[in-house]
Amino acid sequence: MRYGFVIDQRRCIGCHACTVACKEENRVPLGAFRTWVKYVERGTFPQTRRYFSVLRCNHCDDAPCVTICPTVALYRRPDGIVDFDGARCIGCKSCMQACPYDALYIDPDTRTAAKCNYCAHRIEVGLEPACVIVCPEQAIIAGDLDDPRSTIARIVDREPVQVRKAEQGTRPKVFYVGADASALSPELQAPASHYLWAERPREEVDLVKMVAEAQRGDGPGTHTLSQPVYDVPHQVRPWGSKVSAYLWTKSIAAGVLLVAALAGSSGWGSLLGVAAPSLSLIFLALTTALLIFDLKRADRFAFILLKPNWRSWLVRGAWILMAFGVVGVVWLFGGLTDRPDLVSVAFVPAILLALATAGYSAFLFGQAEGRDFWQSPVVLPHLIVAALIAGSAALLLATLVWPGSVMVAGRHVANAGDTLGALMVLSLIVNAGLLAVELGTRHPVRDVAKAARLITRGGYRTRFWGGVVFGGIALPIALVMADFALTLWPLSHLAAVLALAGLWLWEELWVRAGQSVPLS
Amino acid sequence: MTDRLTEPLHPVARELRPPEGGLRSYPPVERWDGWEEYDPVAWPQKVKRRYSLIPTICFNCEAGCGLLAYVDQATLKIQKFEGNPVHPGSRGRNCAKGPATLNQVTDPERILYPLRRVGPRGGGKWERVTWYQALDDIAGRIRAALVEGRQKEVMYHLGRPGHELVYLQRVFHAWGIDGHNSHTNVCSASARAGYAFWHGMDRPSPDHANARFILLLSSHLETGHYFNPHAQRIMEAKARGAKVAVLDTRLSNTASMADWWLAPWPGSESAVLLAMAHVLVREKLYDRDFVRKWVNWDEYLRAERPELPVTFEAFDQALDELYARFTPEFAEAESGVAASTIVEVAREIGRAGSALATHVWRNTAAGNLGGWQVARALELVVVLMGAVGTPGGTAPNAWNKAIPAPPMMPPPGKIWSELLMPREYPLAFFEMSFLLPHFLKEGRGKLAMYFTRVYNPVWTNPDGMSWIEMLTDERKVERHACLTPIWSETAWFADYVLPMGHASERHDLMSQETHAARWIGFRQPVLRVALEKAGKRFDLTWQAHEAAGLGQVWEEDEFWIELSWRIDPDGALGVRKYFESPYRAGEKLRIEELYRWIFENSVPGLPEAAARERLSPLEYMRKYGAFLVEDQVYRTHEQALSAKDLDGATVDPVSHVVQKGGQAIGVEIDGRRHIGFPTPSRKLEFFSGTLKAWKWPEQAVPNYIRSHVHWSNLDRARGEMVLLPTFRLPTLIHTRSGNAKWLYEISHTNPLWMHPTDAERTGVATGDLLKVATRIGHFVDRVWVTEAVRPGVVACSHHLGRWRLHEDVGGERWSTSLVDLTQPEPGKWRMRQVHGPRPFTSDDPDSERVWWEDGGVHQNLTFPVQPDPVSGQHCWHQKVTVSRPGPDDRYGDVFVDTNRSFEVYREWLGLARPAPGPGNLRRPLWLPRAFKPDASAYRLDGA
Repeated sequence: MRYGFVIDQRRCIGCHACTVACKEENRVPLGAFRTWVKYVERGTFPQTRRYFSVLRCNHCDDAPCVTICPTVALYRRPDGIVDFDGARCIGCKSCMQACPYDALYIDPDTRTAAKCNYCAHRIEVGLEPACVIVCPEQAIIAGDLDDPRSTIARIVDREPVQVRKAEQGTRPKVFYVGADASALSPELQAPASHYLWAERPREEVDLVKMVAEAQRGDGPGTHTLSQPVYDVPHQVRPWGSKVSAYLWTKSIAAGVLLVAALAGSSGWGSLLGVAAPSLSLIFLALTTALLIFDLKRADRFAFILLKPNWRSWLVRGAWILMAFGVVGVVWLFGGLTDRPDLVSVAFVPAILLALATAGYSAFLFGQAEGRDFWQSPVVLPHLIVAALIAGSAALLLATLVWPGSVMVAGRHVANAGDTLGALMVLSLIVNAGLLAVELGTRHPVRDVAKAARLITRGGYRTRFWGGVVFGGIALPIALVMADFALTLWPLSHLAAVLALAGLWLWEELWVRAGQSVPLS
Repeated sequence: MTDRLTEPLHPVARELRPPEGGLRSYPPVERWDGWEEYDPVAWPQKVKRRYSLIPTICFNCEAGCGLLAYVDQATLKIQKFEGNPVHPGSRGRNCAKGPATLNQVTDPERILYPLRRVGPRGGGKWERVTWYQALDDIAGRIRAALVEGRQKEVMYHLGRPGHELVYLQRVFHAWGIDGHNSHTNVCSASARAGYAFWHGMDRPSPDHANARFILLLSSHLETGHYFNPHAQRIMEAKARGAKVAVLDTRLSNTASMADWWLAPWPGSESAVLLAMAHVLVREKLYDRDFVRKWVNWDEYLRAERPELPVTFEAFDQALDELYARFTPEFAEAESGVAASTIVEVAREIGRAGSALATHVWRNTAAGNLGGWQVARALELVVVLMGAVGTPGGTAPNAWNKAIPAPPMMPPPGKIWSELLMPREYPLAFFEMSFLLPHFLKEGRGKLAMYFTRVYNPVWTNPDGMSWIEMLTDERKVERHACLTPIWSETAWFADYVLPMGHASERHDLMSQETHAARWIGFRQPVLRVALEKAGKRFDLTWQAHEAAGLGQVWEEDEFWIELSWRIDPDGALGVRKYFESPYRAGEKLRIEELYRWIFENSVPGLPEAAARERLSPLEYMRKYGAFLVEDQVYRTHEQALSAKDLDGATVDPVSHVVQKGGQAIGVEIDGRRHIGFPTPSRKLEFFSGTLKAWKWPEQAVPNYIRSHVHWSNLDRARGEMVLLPTFRLPTLIHTRSGNAKWLYEISHTNPLWMHPTDAERTGVATGDLLKVATRIGHFVDRVWVTEAVRPGVVACSHHLGRWRLHEDVGGERWSTSLVDLTQPEPGKWRMRQVHGPRPFTSDDPDSERVWWEDGGVHQNLTFPVQPDPVSGQHCWHQKVTVSRPGPDDRYGDVFVDTNRSFEVYREWLGLARPAPGPGNLRRPLWLPRAFKPDASAYRLDGA
């Protein structure tokens, strides 16, 4: 049994009855919608036409929101309905990033995720969803796609049906008949600042304008696009600075142990034994704090461990972070108690777990399937390199307190600052290469290209070229080189600060840009 | 991608068993008394809730769609409204406004108790009073007026919907007043006039479901009478292959769904329609036999073409000659619609034959001088196709309505109020409501007691500032009681604000011509019904509401009974007897007795249907909320006169009208006697002898009148354009939906639609401000640049721009902007927005989440009154000058000079051709009039 919807746009008159009936049935708060109607217009007077589309959760058979949800608050029922349980939701908003259809919102009362659940409570008593029965035109058809006798199955079998974003491979179960392609596809819609009888919220307007300005001169002009003339408000960029900061603190936490462990045999004394694990643990704690405080239901953070969905990289990541923390503690204990054996035992697990800590986010963002920009294969290597940059830079700064140049058993050991500086430069060079691959190559996926252009040519270009590329890569490299050549203390340390700042700025831009292209 | 088998399963999902059998749309009727379902918010936790499902009727638009209230048996709160599946018109489905009823009944801003003003009228201070205090004061004033012969000083001004027709006529005729005023002349007067001159009934009833061609001068896929029922049937026909054409200057959603969108210059529609008639006649595509039988062509020939023989062949020729000048090319020049399109549509109509469904109600008819001729021209096309009352055709509305008689109809009063029906407008449909401030300004009278009910003239009518001037003048309006479920701009200027119930809080009978059938719908106070089902008894509905926690919200039916008893406590005035129980002699009529009597005595088939279910008729209606009186109603005009009718009747040898007792009761055609149409000729009046006799000989046949906003009157280089200010949105209903947060969330602005070429000329882009100047003032709005409107025309939806004068009271904060209203000098009014809608604190957490900051711009204030001299319709369209605003202009600004508006009123008054007509009458006796007074009152020398 597989419940689905057919939405017959040949019959739909764009009256919004479904929208309001849904709000009434499910007590959906102002500002949020489980189903809504979009209008677009095309053509010149008097050959103008307006097209409607009813948009909502697609009850995907391969629902990315279910996969990413860390606490099984979202789940697919055996009858095909993708339902949710607010009592399990921790408000991580990852479902909003995973869904390519803009179907989820955070309920302001419960601060948990919600969406169309096919009126599952009505199905339970044998009733059709509220939107179906209210529709004056019977344009919304609910039923079992697996039952060949059902109306819905007959329509899907016989009529030419469309789905939204078929390329996402989510196997959606909302099928459209007679829909205008541009009404279903945001990329075929021109940017709009107003609607014909409603405001468009300012933050949405600012965003679409910024994205549109970045695209000037590329692709088809706006005159070939349809004009969106009505839409409901949509939440803009569910993930903000806490998430980009989390990537950054995590890079440092992972990076310092990674770098220290790789360099471990050379023995840097307290820099190795105390400073590295301390820094790692502090930034790991910060990482965890950022993760928790980004939750809309921070009070439920333990649900990640207690009600886990093992397929979610949020859960896997949480365990990786914890394991990494254990290694850090062992290392620190060894360092503090002056037991190098204990420290060196930690080296191999530290390297593996640091790589996992740094890199797992690539898989997490990969599960955010709504955001094409984050699907790049370069994300994983970037995160590893970012950890190397952050680790070497952080340790370089730590040498100010724990000088790395020490005598061990009467023997002069290599200057830690030089090693770290060299590693940082190398990592920065690799990172520059990765950025060039990420942003410089031609992207076949339109949303990826748009986000990339936003960074390189759009509203983020100053921060990118000035902050990330020049201030965060080129200048630090130059400073370290200058330091090597001229031994002008503290140029390398300044370089480390700049590299860290540049890294933070990049994560910020990357997280923002990834959420800038509208999903619906 | 991911593999479904390995997906995580929620505990609930693991336990889930698929339901047996398919899904159904509604709970089965036999379980409506104790329907159980799960709390949607607690889900997936299974929290069971038990409901009484009680049917009622939506209160938003006029369609009278069925609703089913889910009353929680534990909390006595209404959980939701769904459609009523047994309602014949709406068939269980609703538009957005149906479910939004829940917002209206739970609105934290609503008025729960009777209020009386403290301090000056309009000062905004109120005190709570009891219903009895209010009733006693009002009844005392009415009694004094009746006793002192000042019957004309009692006026009741009605918006919509419900509690109308004979039920209200009964009240006012019992009082002996001519006091019913309505909103009709700002709405549908021209369409009504156009239809009534044709067939004596003032509305069309298209049978969309069976049509082969649907021609709409309306937007019935999104609004209008009767949006949801009609939209269902239009799309049903379309799915079956019917073609749809829409004439509308702007691209409505309806036009967008149509096969043809014809976007004429405003007011040129009759030219287009007559050109279609021209094609039908010239190409012999019309139904000659139907026209020969049912049209008064012989009268036309005798009156207008005496040189021709009175034969149909001669008429055929005369018809061709009459419309010879209405070539498609002429229509193109007038309208801008391509001649080829006009011919194409005309031929499609020709192919559709008698399955031609058409509709005009407001739209162009309400916008333009001579708009009533648009309805005449549209009906001409219907008549030519023989599509009157046919399957898929267009019937006169009265055939598709059922209006059950109440007990004891009082005779009409021998009184005529010239404040309602002044002699200047003898053919008006109906009361010249929107001229009232000017009438009082001219000294035509005063009002001792003025009721407004769900009516908001200050906001809705043109020239609202003149209404404020009238309402704040206590010498002109001595007492003003506002009967309303919600705050309005007009309620602010009342002495009493009396809270009346919404859809689920009142009794009413509704019957609308939604399709080729006749049905009644029963609106009922569902909380009272639920409480009474649980064994409680109440004398009055407000007491039941009090018990249910709904303040003292009341209903009009009971209000009128109580008021009438107080007007005539001892029965000496002869009023009280009409408000006594038909079951308990001399006792006060109880509300359930009124409806019990109606259902037992006036609804054919209902007592039998109820008996089959072992229910009384009243119990049946309480349970189902609707009853189908007759289905498949077609060709009512062909009904034969009965032998009883014919007893003592004579047939006029020339006109073949069947007369009895001085009344025309039918017509003889080809030797058979039919009831025909309620016109003087008992036929369809292509030629209106009435119009000719009442000084409009040049308009006696369907004709084209150039609008007051005809394009030839515009100097576009100087920024002159036509403002089309009338169109509605699918989500809102006039000023009644300001309390519906879910509707305002969807629609809250009314920018000025403007074509890109005009925007370029004016130098503006979407979002920029524009100043729109009328003859009496101006307003400032944002521009919406769009290909969806004809160049040269700007359009602005009429719903938005609600305002309030006080931060915390007097207006729904979901929908109103706070404004500053000043009068720098007499007659000059300035309104400036202080702020738009914004979050506020209330019992509803949603009020903190109001995210829209714009409530639109109030344009109607700046419109002078423009009464059509025939129909009396306010001609809404405005010739305006559109320009970039100055440095002092701000969004939402309104300026009005009421001295100018009075001058414009006098100008338009000069177009009228006043009574008397033949027989020294104020109005033709046969012509419909709401609450018709006694015939003697029609004589100018008689009253």
